[in-house]
Amino acid sequence: MKLLHLYHDIMNLYGEYANVSALERIISNSGENVEIDRISLGDTADLQAYDFIYIGSGTEDNQKLVLEDFAKYKDSIAEYINSNKPALFTGNSFEMLGKTIIDCNGKEYEGLGIFDFKVVEQNKRRVTADIVYTADFLNKPVVGFVNKCSEINGIDSHLFQVKYGIGDSKDSTNEGIRSNSFFGTHVTGPILIKNPHLLLYIAQLISNNTRDFAVSTEHLQRENSAYEVTLRELNKRYAQ
Amino acid sequence: MRKQFTILVCKILKFVGGLIGKGSSLPGQIALKIYPDILGSIQLPKYIVAVTGSNGKTSTVEMIAHTLCESGKKVVWNKEGSNQIEGVTTLILSNSTLSGKVKCDILLIESDERFAKYTFKYITPTHYVITNLYRDQLTRNGHPQWVYNAIKDSIHPETQLILNADDPLVSCFGYKKENITWFGVGDIPTDTKDFDGVYNDGAYCPICKAPMTYSSYHYDHIGMYECANCGHKRNDTEYTVTDADLEKGEITINDKYKITLSLKSLYNVYNILAAFTVASIVGVDNDEICKHLSNYVLKNFRVVTFTLGNRKGTLVTSKHENSISYNQSLKLAASDKECDVLIIVDAVSRKYFTSDVSWLWDINFDVLKSENVRNVVLAGTYCNDLATRFSYSQVQKEKIKVIESIEDAVNFLDNDSKDKIYVITCFSDKGKFLDKVKVD
Repeated sequence: MKLLHLYHDIMNLYGEYANVSALERIISNSGENVEIDRISLGDTADLQAYDFIYIGSGTEDNQKLVLEDFAKYKDSIAEYINSNKPALFTGNSFEMLGKTIIDCNGKEYEGLGIFDFKVVEQNKRRVTADIVYTADFLNKPVVGFVNKCSEINGIDSHLFQVKYGIGDSKDSTNEGIRSNSFFGTHVTGPILIKNPHLLLYIAQLISNNTRDFAVSTEHLQRENSAYEVTLRELNKRYAQ
Repeated sequence: MRKQFTILVCKILKFVGGLIGKGSSLPGQIALKIYPDILGSIQLPKYIVAVTGSNGKTSTVEMIAHTLCESGKKVVWNKEGSNQIEGVTTLILSNSTLSGKVKCDILLIESDERFAKYTFKYITPTHYVITNLYRDQLTRNGHPQWVYNAIKDSIHPETQLILNADDPLVSCFGYKKENITWFGVGDIPTDTKDFDGVYNDGAYCPICKAPMTYSSYHYDHIGMYECANCGHKRNDTEYTVTDADLEKGEITINDKYKITLSLKSLYNVYNILAAFTVASIVGVDNDEICKHLSNYVLKNFRVVTFTLGNRKGTLVTSKHENSISYNQSLKLAASDKECDVLIIVDAVSRKYFTSDVSWLWDINFDVLKSENVRNVVLAGTYCNDLATRFSYSQVQKEKIKVIESIEDAVNFLDNDSKDKIYVITCFSDKGKFLDKVKVD
């Protein structure tokens, strides 16, 4: 089993490396060998050789720098997503897959154009919130937090519905993008640690798409309790 | 007339607020409503020293104030820690005559890093200390680069910058500029050749984004960095910790001035160095500064010693959501002789609500694998998040005890062991622990 953590040292805000650690543990506890490649700017990878790809979030400047490098994967990431292989891009990393990103000075950057959405950044206010989202493929909500300065418009295949917190743009009730087994969300941080049910879902996709191993969940008691506490606290708070 | 009236209103509100124990930002807020440009019309003293940065502001400002006051100077400073424009306005107006003159030698302002540009719109500091820029309060703040941009807008060209040379991002404020006062730590025994944190915010040059190299690290990404591509590097420093013996608790500044530490952490060393630098610049004799800073115990209650039954302990307040601050507290505990460590995360923040614990994953808990550390007790509402985080650390499983109730955790530690207790927690939770022990 091969996992790829792209731009691990520059798109790495707020403990996001742990998303890969969580997958590594659940797959290896399921009896499979796991190999993780961590590569960054200037490296090249054959994306099709991997069973899962992760990119985390970065500063606005670093995202533009990575975008320039990431452009070389335009065709291969499209092929990867089209072949229904799983990938997770968190924070502003998934913005790179849209049509354009306009920065706070009005400068337009061309995205990879895999999806039709457009991104506009500003530098006046950081948009932050604890969030509770729901998803049609999960029987429990997702918890986490968002920290961004951009709005996204033009997503037609949403990943999450906003229960509490903020969505793709002001007043949007949706968040993120789902296409086949590709997941893009602005939720930042170790979302797969904080949401063991989402971890399980993605591990299952990896299993189904590759070797059909049985995913082990025995080690997740603490994670499950932590999730229940956070969901309880957020529901309590937002219900006030 | 409007000026006098505004000053009077502010003074009265401050006085009344003091009687009923209300916060110190409301009088300034009202003054700014009556007269938005009021600060521009106040006559300020010769020295206006501002301090900002992610960490160490309050401690640094307290030590500067202490040193200057002990040296016979009259200092006006925001000791309540109200560090946004409203609090600073209250501070200035309540210390001003009705004609609008602040009567002191030095006005010393701790400023919130995100809002400094508003505070310093009408006040031009003569000296501006920037301590460091770290990941901090991620559910409210932007990342360090975002905060950097906010601080940049607050800097007046005529202000003398006093910068931490060891922080690659802070150093950008002085990039290609003359006339910067740099302070920093030289080669000291605790330096490491390799990076030992969980994430490295110094991996890429903040100026040109090329990979950056370090000849040594003091802690996290603070150290001797150099970018081969654009030449951005750790500057030579005018005020330098030339030796530091943290075990003994003594530092030497500029090969000559010795200061003994009441808190043996490198973090504290930086705060002391910044305070030394400011006091020296405003004209206090260096030997006298050493006298006042030696063994100085901060009054801001960030470090509290206590007794629990037969055991002695130290509580170190470490901002939740700030991994570098946390790392320093963990190192302090792990470097001491035999001890138990209690970590409490019960409420993530004191001032606002968040349930986010992503910052736990940026903390290097591995330092607690040290043999000195006997038990690691994880307590509070978020103890399961802590336990999960520790399950991904190198800390030996058998050391870890997860006890949700703080009271039960205290009872667990109330035994006949001779080992010291370190408690690491945040402002929001420290009272919940200190209630249950005897504070020394």
